[in-house]
Amino acid sequence: MTVAFGLSLLALFALAGIGTPVALSMLVAATVYLAAKGQDLGLAAEQIIQGLYDSFIILAVPLFIVAAAIMNAGTISDRLLSFCVAVVGRVRGGLGHVNVAASLIFSGMSGSAVADAAGIGKIIIEMMTRDGRYAPGYAAAITAASATIGPIIPPSIPMVMYALVSDVSIGYLFLGGIVPGLVMGGVLMGLNALLAARRGFAREAPVPLRELPRVTARAFPALMMPVILLWGIYGGATTPTEAAAVAAAYALVLAAVFYRSLSWGSLYAIFSESARSSAAVGLVIGGALIFNYIVASENIAGQLAASLQGLEIHPLAFLLAVNLLLLLLGCVLDATTIILVIVPLFIPTCRELGIDLVQFGVVVVVNCMIGLITPPYGVLLFVINATTGIPLRDIIREIWLFIAVLIVALAAMVLFPELVLWLPRQVGYLG
Amino acid sequence: MAAALRFLRDRADNVAAGLLAAMFLTFILQIVSRYVMNSPLGWTLEACLTLWLWLVFWGSAFVLRDEDHVRFDLVYAASGARLRRTFAIVSAVAIAAGLLAALPATIDYITFYKIKKSAILRIRLDVVFSVYGIFAVALIARYALRALSLARGGPIPAGTDR
Repeated sequence: MTVAFGLSLLALFALAGIGTPVALSMLVAATVYLAAKGQDLGLAAEQIIQGLYDSFIILAVPLFIVAAAIMNAGTISDRLLSFCVAVVGRVRGGLGHVNVAASLIFSGMSGSAVADAAGIGKIIIEMMTRDGRYAPGYAAAITAASATIGPIIPPSIPMVMYALVSDVSIGYLFLGGIVPGLVMGGVLMGLNALLAARRGFAREAPVPLRELPRVTARAFPALMMPVILLWGIYGGATTPTEAAAVAAAYALVLAAVFYRSLSWGSLYAIFSESARSSAAVGLVIGGALIFNYIVASENIAGQLAASLQGLEIHPLAFLLAVNLLLLLLGCVLDATTIILVIVPLFIPTCRELGIDLVQFGVVVVVNCMIGLITPPYGVLLFVINATTGIPLRDIIREIWLFIAVLIVALAAMVLFPELVLWLPRQVGYLG
Repeated sequence: MAAALRFLRDRADNVAAGLLAAMFLTFILQIVSRYVMNSPLGWTLEACLTLWLWLVFWGSAFVLRDEDHVRFDLVYAASGARLRRTFAIVSAVAIAAGLLAALPATIDYITFYKIKKSAILRIRLDVVFSVYGIFAVALIARYALRALSLARGGPIPAGTDR
């Protein structure tokens, strides 16, 4: 590590630590590095401009943001929920199961955990806490925990970012997320069932079976969305970026034409709000690109790989250590920053140790999504707190068990690569 | 003054929303031309990338508020008013100074591209890249003004209260 790099890290941590926007901290830190090295200060501009202007896959990010915003604004989420209530609402703790099931389906449409928690999550929390049937803290906690599935089952914005820094195929990454996402849904439902029996949670009035076809028909066009997306990508018809645009267009047609639930005003609000989030995410991606350029020119990742190889560390030990580190970082850092800046450091080591990069990617994304619900810095906790007014300490009191079972699911993905790799291999992945 | 600023901010917001909508429509056009009409248009991809570049830097320059940025503000939110003021001044000065120091080289980099045109749409690349220059200048101005206002005892930017 050179002095210049040390200074630049110092600037980065000091600035980001006192609340400077992370993207701008990286930009300033990069300038510090170039100045200390006596290099052309214009290199920072060059890296950020060329990085954003050249990369086709990043375009999927704003498109998935638009798709999620449209689905949340229209009545698509409501229809999905009534469908889930009809199917799984009748058992004890039914609305908890509905919550997880709705997240599983919704995650097949939206690539963002925050969109999941703020949209469908907000509606279901209202249903759960009405008449005091569930404690608000519990409703909020299970919603936050199930929202983490959003970016595991494709589509997935964080996986697009991982693909960007690792050059792994997005198609295989997306496929690799399906089984782990279902496993996460399974452990959450298991925990809910256990707690429901112990604490005597409410049952929903069963929806008569003859109602089922009508409810299904109402939700059917929305339920087709994941099918269309996956068929588009794996049928080889579209690239994942194009699939993102198709998803957004399909959601728009559904909301505006089929369900007639969109006005011009709300359409403008969707694009304005999505433009804001896209610009914020784009700037962080840009900042990370410059910073990664510096890390690459210092060959930090290569040195790490070389020193770990000297230690003859077992691949599994390495994976466990990285996961532990990322879980700790997830308590204080944002998922985007971890995936774009920290994770690339470990990729050369993974190659050396023979760890499959699709498995590593899925594991890392799951890990970062758990980071979204770990206090003190858990974005999903803040989002739910902001949209529902449920106090953070009530949510945090209930979240621990959910975090625990999700970590068990994560450990299973680390220990049994087949969980991740089985599905991609079925369609010809040779890893 | 405040009304004029709000007016400008709303128009900047219109532009950002328009850029995103244009990008979305161009993408749909690309898909329709490629899969439905079977005669792919060459220019759509480049148009999308250009719109994306403009969306990111235009949005970051004129639309994003402090709370829209990805920030780590645990320490900031837990600090008292005096410390917050110091933190906010240090942030603002660092951003303005960093971008200002890089500005001449940045402008050089952008204007250098006046000799090159984009591959398909034949737009001069210095025009395409100029949005980064606009972004840099806007941020230098905004954060320099904020540093001054803070130093004179002006209002401190809010932390996300948790």
